[in-house]
Amino acid sequence: MYQQAFIFGAAFLGSAVEATEALTIVLAVGLTRGWREPLLGTLLAIVLLGLLVLVFGQLIVTTIPEWALKLLVGTLLLLFGLRWLHKAVLRSAGVVAMHDEERAYQDAVSRLGETVGRRDWVGFVLALKGVFLEGLEVVFIVIAVGGPGHAWTAAIAGGLVAAVVVAVAGVAVRAPLARVPENTLKFAVGILLTSLGTFWAAEGMGASWPGDFLSIFALAGIFLVASQLAVTVIRRPALA
Amino acid sequence: MRFLRAAGREVLGLFVSDWVQSGVIIVILAAAWFAVAKFGAPALVLLVLLLATQLVWFARAEATRSRRQSPS
Repeated sequence: MYQQAFIFGAAFLGSAVEATEALTIVLAVGLTRGWREPLLGTLLAIVLLGLLVLVFGQLIVTTIPEWALKLLVGTLLLLFGLRWLHKAVLRSAGVVAMHDEERAYQDAVSRLGETVGRRDWVGFVLALKGVFLEGLEVVFIVIAVGGPGHAWTAAIAGGLVAAVVVAVAGVAVRAPLARVPENTLKFAVGILLTSLGTFWAAEGMGASWPGDFLSIFALAGIFLVASQLAVTVIRRPALA
Repeated sequence: MRFLRAAGREVLGLFVSDWVQSGVIIVILAAAWFAVAKFGAPALVLLVLLLATQLVWFARAEATRSRRQSPS
């Protein structure tokens, strides 16, 4: 139960961050060049991403022994989660600028012109490419958190619910979701994925954690303290 | 072709932003694998502490580097 909830939460939060970035691209293309082609590009990207989850998910789970799968996915999740956490720490400490959806949207709009011709291939390709590339992270998160723990339903549901929530919010406001606390979400997802990665990598090495899956919460606590410590150390005047 | 190259870069970029940091993480995991086989569960404490330490270390190093490059 804890495991399913944790995996749903990790997949939901991680996917929500990426879906917000993909929405910015689709809105920028749709509002400046018309909606038909960008929506078709988005649809095709979603179908391709769904196929990737099905094909790679099945392939990985059925062909790789469980210990190797946990070690491999755990290592990749650690690298992925620590990269997000590293970036979130630097943003929280003020070293790197916060990601600004409004600015990303304006940049995209300024690069686009008005609709030309009957078939707008530029709009189609931009939406396809934007949604597909942002969606690759969602695919990885869903496969990585759902595979080793045999929690596909929770992971896929987390990814889908996030995509639907972000899409509905985008349709409602017809503007980039600039108020989504993206860095806080990245912080949380970085901690969740790093904890899950550490847990599975160690299980793949043959270790058993005290308290089994509950130890993930202790791991999350340790990584939270470490990242807060990093923010504090970086903000110290001696470094300024 | 450009799309495939962009997708390839995107996939690699999911896991690696700093090659040295990624290398250190892999070395920590390899050492932990050896330690878990030899000492069992107590080695997990070392694994977690090393991973947490490298997070603080590399974030501080990048902050220092970034401030040296743009002193204001």
